[in-house]
Amino acid sequence: MIVFVSGAVRSGKSEAAEVCAIRLAAGETLHYVATARAADAEMEERIRRHQERRMGMTAPWVVWEAPEGPDQLLAALRPPDVVLLDCLTMWWANVLFAGDEWKTEEGAFAAARCLLDQVRAWAAACRAVVIVSNELFSGGVPNDLGTFRYMKMLGWLHQQLVAEAEAAAVVECGLLRVKKGRWPQ
Amino acid sequence: MRERYGISDGVHIVWHDGYQDSYGWPDGAKTAKTVVLDGLEAAIRRLPDPEEWERFFCAWKQWEEGAAGRTVVWIGTDVTQGVVPVDPQERRWRDAVGMCYQRLASLCCRVDRIWCGLAERLK
Repeated sequence: MIVFVSGAVRSGKSEAAEVCAIRLAAGETLHYVATARAADAEMEERIRRHQERRMGMTAPWVVWEAPEGPDQLLAALRPPDVVLLDCLTMWWANVLFAGDEWKTEEGAFAAARCLLDQVRAWAAACRAVVIVSNELFSGGVPNDLGTFRYMKMLGWLHQQLVAEAEAAAVVECGLLRVKKGRWPQ
Repeated sequence: MRERYGISDGVHIVWHDGYQDSYGWPDGAKTAKTVVLDGLEAAIRRLPDPEEWERFFCAWKQWEEGAAGRTVVWIGTDVTQGVVPVDPQERRWRDAVGMCYQRLASLCCRVDRIWCGLAERLK
């Protein structure tokens, strides 16, 4: 099962996704795919805040750090496990800009398909994959080709994931609005 | 979009892509049944003048009403919700997009907002 949660910056989407993942896991193993890399002090602080919040929870998380984490996760998954990926936008940036894939339309599309297949493989191997992403699409269409392809394929990924998801929601001001299916209770 | 308007038949369809070229006026679309004007915000960027655009929207509306079974579909990205740009030209473009979308929505019989492939009907 795939569950998709999106939202703006500081909307509360990570918290909503964590609560959802804990519910779905019902005491079984929770895997956390951490995608952010600490490029500066602000990012370090942001990552630390997420880590502290998870440590404050009674549920223990098995953490898989990008860039290797997503590739290693599949082998560790068992049928009752739940995966939380936070967030797709960072992961997709890491994947697309790791090499030259962003330089051609075909390269970017192949990279996005590869990422989607990875999520599908996780979803097939465990109880649920909860994906956090970001509402990036209202601030304009970028001029530079790299960012344009990044946004275009991110939009494509969102469409595929929501089409395959059992439930999809957007979080605004801490309020969750369900767009598809029934939200896991 | 393709599912809703049966765009995949590839016969009576004219597709204008605002990211690539300027749109044409309706005179050239005599045989078409469905005309799609995609990338509207990019087209508006080249001509950020809502008055001009209103004339263009009306011309296509007239074309649509000129024969039974015609449909004109406009596709645009909402670029009006980010931080207000410092650059005056960027601001002018965004304002023009907002005004054009309002005028266009008032002319259209159906308006959908698409989120991750899911259509939310606004009108």
